[in-house]
Amino acid sequence: MMTPRERMRNAMDFRPVDALPWAENFYVETVNRFISEGMPADQISVMDWRMEGSLLLNWPAFIGFDVNSYFECINFFGCMVPVDVAPIPRFKQRKIGEDSKYEQFIMESGARTRIVKKGSRDTTWYAMPQFYSFPVSDKKSWDSYKERLNPEDPRRYPKDWDPEAYAEVLDQYQAGPTLLSMTGFYGFGAELMGIPNFNLAFYKDPELIKSMAAHWEYFTVESTREAVEALKDRIDMIFWWEDMAERHGPNISPKLYKEFLLSHYKRVTGFLNKNKINRIMMDSDGNTKPVLDLVIEAGITGHWPLEVNSGMDVRDLRKQYGNRLFLVGNLDKREIAKGGQPMRNEIDSKLPVMKEMGGYVAGLDHLVHVEFTFQRFREYADYIKTKLSVE
Amino acid sequence: MADILDEIRSTVANLGGSARLHELVNTALSQGIPVLDIVEKGLRAGLQDVGSKYEAGEYFLAELLFAASILDEAMQIIKPRLSAQAMHRSGRILLGTVRGDMHDIGKNIFRMMANAAGFEVQDLNVDVDPEIFVQQSKQTKPDILGLSCLLTTALPEIKVVIDMLDQAKIRSYLKILLGGNAVTKEFAREVGADAAALDAVEGVDLSRGLVK
Repeated sequence: MMTPRERMRNAMDFRPVDALPWAENFYVETVNRFISEGMPADQISVMDWRMEGSLLLNWPAFIGFDVNSYFECINFFGCMVPVDVAPIPRFKQRKIGEDSKYEQFIMESGARTRIVKKGSRDTTWYAMPQFYSFPVSDKKSWDSYKERLNPEDPRRYPKDWDPEAYAEVLDQYQAGPTLLSMTGFYGFGAELMGIPNFNLAFYKDPELIKSMAAHWEYFTVESTREAVEALKDRIDMIFWWEDMAERHGPNISPKLYKEFLLSHYKRVTGFLNKNKINRIMMDSDGNTKPVLDLVIEAGITGHWPLEVNSGMDVRDLRKQYGNRLFLVGNLDKREIAKGGQPMRNEIDSKLPVMKEMGGYVAGLDHLVHVEFTFQRFREYADYIKTKLSVE
Repeated sequence: MADILDEIRSTVANLGGSARLHELVNTALSQGIPVLDIVEKGLRAGLQDVGSKYEAGEYFLAELLFAASILDEAMQIIKPRLSAQAMHRSGRILLGTVRGDMHDIGKNIFRMMANAAGFEVQDLNVDVDPEIFVQQSKQTKPDILGLSCLLTTALPEIKVVIDMLDQAKIRSYLKILLGGNAVTKEFAREVGADAAALDAVEGVDLSRGLVK
């Protein structure tokens, strides 16, 4: 029997599997809901004996909840190569104001947000804040921000960084793939400027976009180089966060993708390929179809989560792109959350076909959101597990 | 006259750039072309072409935003010569994201597009209490109330707002337009909204139809 890691690797490589891999990731709010509805917290709590704080004392520490093991599905983020590709130093996250309903914060990225006050309503810290200002708006603010994106900063790797020792530790993990996380240039720019301003800059300030893209390429390659070169045999996939589309289509046109992104992407994926890392999965919601040819040309080899609500369909994509793109997700969260026959129909309409076609990892077309009850998710888990086996 | 208006229209439609558009608008003004014609037959006609290209998959979000932005800049030249009523001939929209939802990108894009298309838009921002929607609708009497919702968990709030508007008996003059990723046309029918837009361009098109 294959380990979940082997299953994932084989599926992503279009090689035979003994069962389709099944991967899900959960919002914190959803986990809270599941626990409140009867998911046994003691069975999913992860504790570890660690030396905490300033005392010479080993102490059991609460690490988090392992929901994936409970449901027997793979967690994409279960094993990450520890390279810090965020701004260093971070902005100090702090409250900068409040009124009767909201608190305003500067976030670690430098963005400013408004968040509903905790306790004022039935909401949690997770509840999405409103981002009302972003750290980059023009060349001057970009030049200043760039100082925090120095790939050579030694803080990008853990204090105990030793590639051989890390390779050994990573090797013990077989519950899923080992990931190296990267942020695609669209995701990078949108995060720093906000979606409207970033999109506008392609037309209003193309020099700024070119400068950001050039630095993004340099930063992405050089900050990860040591890990990539040392752990190339152990890195199973690149998780390429992009979020570049909405229901209607991609936020930027194929023309802009080609003009501003493509050559940089090719050089980053070329660097990965040179190190024999060929599984590069783009994470983007929305309808990405109009740019998928270019995405593939850029060197991306996989795509998640394939939102049904945005017109994505694994069966059509497989027919169109063959073995050039492994596909992950695409089970319609709305149908699955209904439970019963709609849930079974959604699984039965896709899993058998995708088993035949290969290159598929089963899962919802988004993170598991809070609308799922514990009971409904368990019903889904129980059913899908009976359908994964490959004869 | 038609030539320069066509040129203004095609400059907007083909994203010809702000400087060129300014030049053309100033030329049209110096030729004595009625301001309203410049706005309707030039600028806004061009924006409609942009919308058509977006729907056809030729343009994407970046192009929409840029077109709305150059049009807005051109309108600044024209504004002093146009009455407020003429500026917003298309109608008036009250807009906001429903309670429990802090998302605003889609709403803001719709606001830009609707403004550029000649609607007067009052934006109540995000996480708006249903009472505020009702109170503002009574007070400002818009043609359309736009309710945005991205989170499926916040969708029930739309029904709450609509029920309160029904109770307040102000639906006779108020059309309700839904938008946001969580919204579907089927949902709009279920809750008694007048229309649901799947994107900002469709939202503006639907708004035009709703105020006719």
